[in-house]
Amino acid sequence: MKGPKIRFEKVLKAYGELKVLEDLDFHVDENEVVAIIGPSGSGKTTVLRVLMTLEGIQGGTIFVGDEPLNVMRKGDRLVPANRAHVRRIRSKIGMVFQSFNLFPHMTALENCIEAPVQTKGLSKSEATAESLELLAMVGLTDKRDHYPSQLSGGQQQRVAIARALAMRPEILLFDEPTSALDPEMVGEVLNVIRDLARSGHYTILLVTHQMGFAREVSDRVCFFDGGVMVEEGAPDDIFGNPQNDRLRHFLSKILEAT
Amino acid sequence: MAGRIIAVVALTAFLCGISFATFSELRIFLPAMLRGAVVTLQVSILSAVLFIVMSFLAGIAKDSGTRLVRWLAIGYIEVFRGTSLLVQLFWLYFVLPEFGIVLSPMMAGVLGVGLNFGAYGAEIVRGAMLAVPRGQQEASVALNLSDRACLIRIVIPQAVVVMIPGMTNLTIELIKATALVSAVTLVDITYASVQQNQLHYRTLEIFTITVMLYYCFAQFIRFGGSALEDRFSRHLRRGH
Amino acid sequence: MDWRWDFTFDVVIPRLWEAAGVTVYATVASFLLALVGGLILMLLKTSKNRMVSFAVTEFIELIRATPLLVQIFFLFFLLPEVGITLPPLTSGIIAIALYNSTLCAEVYRAGLQAVPRGQWEAAMALNLSTYRTFRRIIIPQSLPPIVPALGNYLIAIFKETPLLSFVAVGEIMHASKLIGSEYYRFTEAVTIAGVFFLVMSLVSAQLVRLVETYLQRSIQR
Repeated sequence: MKGPKIRFEKVLKAYGELKVLEDLDFHVDENEVVAIIGPSGSGKTTVLRVLMTLEGIQGGTIFVGDEPLNVMRKGDRLVPANRAHVRRIRSKIGMVFQSFNLFPHMTALENCIEAPVQTKGLSKSEATAESLELLAMVGLTDKRDHYPSQLSGGQQQRVAIARALAMRPEILLFDEPTSALDPEMVGEVLNVIRDLARSGHYTILLVTHQMGFAREVSDRVCFFDGGVMVEEGAPDDIFGNPQNDRLRHFLSKILEAT
Repeated sequence: MAGRIIAVVALTAFLCGISFATFSELRIFLPAMLRGAVVTLQVSILSAVLFIVMSFLAGIAKDSGTRLVRWLAIGYIEVFRGTSLLVQLFWLYFVLPEFGIVLSPMMAGVLGVGLNFGAYGAEIVRGAMLAVPRGQQEASVALNLSDRACLIRIVIPQAVVVMIPGMTNLTIELIKATALVSAVTLVDITYASVQQNQLHYRTLEIFTITVMLYYCFAQFIRFGGSALEDRFSRHLRRGH
Repeated sequence: MDWRWDFTFDVVIPRLWEAAGVTVYATVASFLLALVGGLILMLLKTSKNRMVSFAVTEFIELIRATPLLVQIFFLFFLLPEVGITLPPLTSGIIAIALYNSTLCAEVYRAGLQAVPRGQWEAAMALNLSTYRTFRRIIIPQSLPPIVPALGNYLIAIFKETPLLSFVAVGEIMHASKLIGSEYYRFTEAVTIAGVFFLVMSLVSAQLVRLVETYLQRSIQR
């Protein structure tokens, strides 16, 4: 059996005195779909951000495959990872943001081909062909030459997904991908994510407030609170038979709201 | 806007025509003033190039991760903004030779004006770069773009739109500031008018022409600035 | 290079110190005139008479598009021709003040515009007189943006005074030029003049920042 695709070992993330993640041990298997839920400030988004190297960590080790992300082997010692090492590991990970973060000065297609051309050394025509396939997959072939300002929120987020896929990542991170959307556009984005989850080609980490969707697509659900993973398990167990008080409290508040 | 530029050109042509008809001495002092105008243009164009280069260098360096680079940028900005342009011009032309560096008047003028305005432009460039949302850099990291690609392909193209109005204003100020280069013995349009005035005592005519010339330069820059802004912000407008 | 300290202390500093008085006088006088001039220009610009407001707007445009130095020369040469004989210092101060009053006018206008419309409407709803509306409601709120901007213009004027050396006003720059041509040594005089301006503008920029934070805090209370 292969080792996990992502592994956190005693990861500590702190802003000064405030500990956002405390000695976190956590793993995701290859091609597993894991949903992370929890109240705001629970550190769930931070898990994605430190994995994407948007933020550094103060202790512990993150592994992607067999390789450590934040440190590297030099001879028989471990030293802080240099830029080349981080970039090599990072190329396996794609991320979709809550606020899309499309490049406003580039069309949908240009957004998708930018990174493959700049970092993977693909020719413009190769990258274009691939990106057009991806745009077709998210149902936006006819919007290829539109700028982000000309697209609806749902369309922008689908372009952002195509852009992340254009890097041919093995791991996909979704950071509350529908939280910034108007309600009527949530469905179109969730459909795309659902297809990706079911394809079985990707290891997916999904931070979301859409409990129904988390239950539907994920293989496993993790509940975070106060920088600690409080409970994890199969979706039906987490939602149907929660063990921890804090999880029960959280779920009941969510149910009240809907 | 195009209408405005045509109006300005037409007005200038009209005024020139009137002046030719009215001031018979014009033929005597106009050639010298035109030579001055050419010097003003030369200094303006060369120092504008230096100004833009220095604005970007210092503006980017001020937020550099390397402390030495950051301090160099801050030192440059504070020194050139803190002392007057006139002092700087004198220093370049009269004091630098003491260090064995002798500059031609044109070089001293261009360096002085360009470096002085670069220090002001640096803050505009820096502000514009900071105005680019943080998410754009995060997206670049997520797409594994290098720091350089992120700066050149993502941040600067978006910052340019923001900085155009400020840089346009500064360019107009720069053209006005070239009036000081007579301090390093260059005979620009301003100094040419002073010389011609001392010869011919035609203050009103001579200085009206000078004022109109500067006014036209400024209008041209303004026109160019809004054309550039239009060009760069086309994609940011909503709708098709 | 050789830097002569005895020359610096015996000649340069005493003579620049004398000239500094002229610089300060020119700065303060131009600034005060510009404050008043700016107010007049702003009132004329917002005048109900379209001709007046158009003429003033274009006049401001023209002044701003022209180098201050040209205006200093213009006044310096023109006034005697029309029979007004003023010392160069005075005509220089008038030119600097005129130039900066166009900038001050803009500052006043922006400051007044920064007060939300609702404030005017609320004052009207409370039936306050125009005077009281300005005195108690509008001016206190528009001061925080106006005062720092004016402070920056004070610094700018200070840095513009060396232009007066072109019409032989004995301020600092002129004094250092004179020292240079009398002794054939520019290094000390020009450098000390530069240091003087650098120190003065760093200190005054800090002062403006202090005033700015003070005003911001006082309005938030």
